[in-house]
This record gives sequence, C-alpha cells and structure tokens, in this order.
Amino acid sequence: MNKIRNGSEQTPFLSSLTPPAEAFPATSDQAATLIIDCNTSVGDGRNWEPKERLVNYDPETLLRYSAEAGIQRSCIMSTRKVLSMSASFYKEENREIARLCEKHPDKFIGFAVHNPQAEEGTLRRILIEEVRSMGLKGVRTDGHPTREVLDAVAELNIPVMYYPNLTGFYPPDSSGSREFPGPTSAYFLMATTYPSVNFILPHLGCYRSVQFWTAHIEAIELAKRFPNVYLETSGVMTHKYLEMAAAEVPSEKLLFGSNALEEDPRVEMHIVKLLKLPKPQETAVLGGNIRRLLPHFDA
Amino acid sequence: MSEKYESSRREFLTRSGALLFAGALSHSEGLATGPPATTVAKEEGKVPVIDCHAHVGIAEDLVDPWDTLADAEVLLQHAEEAGVDKTVIFPINNKSYIKANEFIAQTCQRYPGKFIGFARHSAYTEHYPIRPLLFHEIHDLGLRGLKLHDQPSEEILDAVKELDIPILAHLERVEDFEEFVPRYPTINFIVAHLGGEMSADVDEHLAAIDLAKRYPNVYLDSSIVLITKYLEMAIEKLGPEKVLLASDGPDGDIRLDIFKIRVLKLPKKDEEKILGANILRLLGGSRRIS
Repeated sequence: MNKIRNGSEQTPFLSSLTPPAEAFPATSDQAATLIIDCNTSVGDGRNWEPKERLVNYDPETLLRYSAEAGIQRSCIMSTRKVLSMSASFYKEENREIARLCEKHPDKFIGFAVHNPQAEEGTLRRILIEEVRSMGLKGVRTDGHPTREVLDAVAELNIPVMYYPNLTGFYPPDSSGSREFPGPTSAYFLMATTYPSVNFILPHLGCYRSVQFWTAHIEAIELAKRFPNVYLETSGVMTHKYLEMAAAEVPSEKLLFGSNALEEDPRVEMHIVKLLKLPKPQETAVLGGNIRRLLPHFDA
Repeated sequence: MSEKYESSRREFLTRSGALLFAGALSHSEGLATGPPATTVAKEEGKVPVIDCHAHVGIAEDLVDPWDTLADAEVLLQHAEEAGVDKTVIFPINNKSYIKANEFIAQTCQRYPGKFIGFARHSAYTEHYPIRPLLFHEIHDLGLRGLKLHDQPSEEILDAVKELDIPILAHLERVEDFEEFVPRYPTINFIVAHLGGEMSADVDEHLAAIDLAKRYPNVYLDSSIVLITKYLEMAIEKLGPEKVLLASDGPDGDIRLDIFKIRVLKLPKKDEEKILGANILRLLGGSRRIS
C-alpha cells in the first residue's frame, strides 16, 4: 500500500544536496531548551557489539548518570535480544518500556523495538497500538525496515531508528568474515522512498569508528543529501569524525544520544560539548532537534 | 561541571604540591620494580599530567587513517585543552622504525618539554639486529621507553632489561604477555587500551585486569576504552597505582580519555597517580624526564 503521509514532501533521487530551510521549522523555547538523550536501552538482553554477551541495564542507574550529565529526558527502549524472538515477545518488552515511562513520566520517553522480519504481518497493528494506546513515541528496528513498518511509521508520524551495521545481524560467512555494508545502501532507498519519515542513524554510521571507518563519511553524506536522515552521536571513538559532522552537516541534523548504559551518558555528553558548537546549535543538538521529531511528545 | 571540577583540582594541586607527590610515590614503591622514587626532583611543585600513549609520524600505507599520518600539532592542541602537560609519543605503523624513531626524537626537540619519546620496534618486520639500534635510540637520541605492537624477541627483551626502560605494548591478545612477563620481572610492562582497543572484546579488559593483578610489573593504559565501567573496575580492583592515563592520539583524543578518569571523581591523590605520577615513576621520576 506504501502509504505516505504527506506526498508533497517526496524527494526525488539526488535532488536535495542541502535540505530546504522549511524542513526545520522553528520550535518553542521550551522545546528548544529541554536536554534529551535520544538513545538509551534498559533491561536485560544481549549485546553483539563489541562482543556477544548478556547485559542488564538498570533504569535507576541510567537516571542517576543522566541527572549528573544534566540530561532531562531519555528516550528509552528495550535492550536487544536474539533475533528470532516472536512478535508477542517484542510486545511484552515494549509494554515494560511503557510501564517505566508511566513510572517516570518526567524522565523517560518510550520507544518501541521491533524486528520487521520476525514480526512480518503483525507488526503494523501492534505498533499502532503501542503508539496510540501505550504512549510510545518512536520505534527502533532491529533488522532492516520493511515497507510494512515504514508505512506504519509514516501513518503514525513517529521517527524510526535503525543501525544497519550491527554485527549480530550479519553473522560470519563461511570464511568467518563479518563483512557488512556501510549505511549508504541501507539508507539511500529508505530515505528516498519514504521522504516523510524521519530516520535516525545511530553512532554517526559506524559504532566504535572501526572496521569500516568510512561509514562515518557515508553517514555525513546521507545527512547532507536527505532532509529526513538524522545522525545520532553515541559510540564514536574517533572524535574527529564528529567534528567533521558538526562542521559539514547542518546542526539541525545531529541528535545527542548516549547509547547508555552500554556507554556512560556523562562521557557522551562531554563528547558533544567538546564540539564547542555555538550555544543555540548546541541546545538544538542536545534536545531541540529530537524534540521536533517527536510530535506526540508533550513536555 | 567539568570546568568547576578542573578548577578545584588545580587549586588542590597548587596547595598540596610536592609533599603530596612525594607521598604518592612512597606509597607505591612496593609495586614498582623500576627506578626508586629518590630520583624524583623534589622541587617539582605539581604532579604533571601525562598522556602515556600517542603517535607521531608518517607512514607509507595510505589505507587507513592510523597508517597514514599522526600530527604532533593536533596532539599539542588537544593536550592543552585537556590540561595535559606532557605526552608520550612513538611512531605509527611502519615496516622499519629506524627513521621513524629518529623523527620522534626530532619532534621531542622541536617542542621542548612537551613530549617524551619512545622508540618503536618490531621483531617481525625488522630483520636486522635491534639491540644496537635501541641502545642508540635511548642513549644518544634521548628516547625513554619502547612501544611494541607484536611479540618481542628475546633480543629486544634483554636489551630493554639492560636499558631499564618501560615497554608499552599492544599485542593481539592479553594472554600473549604471559609468554614473557614472568621471565622479565624487572621490566615494567604497560598493557595498551586496558587490554582491548575500543572495548572490542570486553573479556580482554578482564584478562588485562587479571594480569595486572598477578604481576607487580604489569600496568594498564586507559586509552580508547568505550565501555568505561571497565576503567572503573580496573581502578577498583588494582588500585590507582596500576592504571595510566592514555589517549592513543591523535586518532584517539585525550580530551575524551581524561574526562573518563575525571568523571569517576576519585580522591585527588589517586587521580594524580593515574594522570601522571604512575608513568613518571616508571620513567624514573621527573629529573630524568626533564
């Protein structure tokens, strides 16, 4: 059905090297000053990066570190699990996220997590319920976004976060190699086909800045080309690529995220402050920009 | 938050001065097998902040950033912003390190007081006697330690033992250190990246902490640790005498790595050890440094 929420926003291939000014409408003072961490995980799960292991991220620790870092809201989502979980499993995980948001309404903004491949055929109905009835404000997909999920996302007007280079999603081939593509091939068609959907590319396109460090350059080019591709700042180990992004990408396209509690939100906050952006731009990166992508979030 | 913390830290250092520094050294004498603390200049009023792991030089490959160029000016700029007084530098990847080590010595001379030069060698790519080179580099060029990126030969280890210099090594696995550390108890070994760069394998962080726990002459550098709770764990399990501030600059960034230590809000004298006193002790004190 490929339902696009606002057809007039459609961007033809290669036509938007710089985003139009109207893509970034002015925000209210309140929205602009709220400091929001757009990428945190809570609860138990499994992490493949850097090495497969069990993890458990405590929401109370997240709150403590975030308060120390001056973060006022955190977008929380469930920790990654194995890939073959059933649809009902994600539903229960997201319900727990919604419960945590109810418990800390002034601290947490809930994102759903879904696997478009494992939940094929049922995902749309569940996601609509999670956003409309349970109050979740965005979605992270663990697995490549399909038309099913992006149609629902467009209909709901929520952002979608997707990291295409995740080792766990590209198991070693027969030679033991873990070659995986950079973000360009994953994002080019999605961003072109769904111009009304706002995509969040985590880790400036390359977690830990290793193996395929050129993925940072690809991410920067994607954000420059597509008005609807945003770059999240966490897990970038080679700081000069963040400086490159800050210099080359409009500051409206950068979103502060910490990837807590895998990383420390206090450290990730310091990393963004090191960019020494002019105050209005820094404020936008630290919260104003993600706030604009969350139309269902009422501060 | 960090500015306020920094200013109180500096104030504390100014007030406490040499007395605190001497105390920190004597407290850790039992751990060190290197030169005694008495070689430290007592007139030093402040423990210098030292980044013990950075690269300078050019290489031929032009394939990856770390095989292309490491600019001393970038290191100096980041060090100044981070409040770092001195930086230990050594070459980036080359096949032969003869010219690259000379370049390190020249860089140290070009920026007096800013850099401490280490030689770098490889028993795998340099097919000639390394011992006379290393003696020349330490005695004539003024380099102060050795950086390794692969397993050292007996020739290298024997020369290092005789020269009484520390080795900073990034080997493939932490367990590779077991092959030679027990046989060279008088050499101080610094394990790079808390055992695993960018936390690529957190089990390597655990292995490095275990290694440093078992051997008094094994230390860990703090550079490019992504999952910073392992830094906290290392300091908790080993004490502040065993962890050394490091950045792996200029691809790593000392402004980030120093914050990862400061955010732990350690007691000031513990923080001073990590930020400078430990590497100073392994190098034989500030007199030999200057």
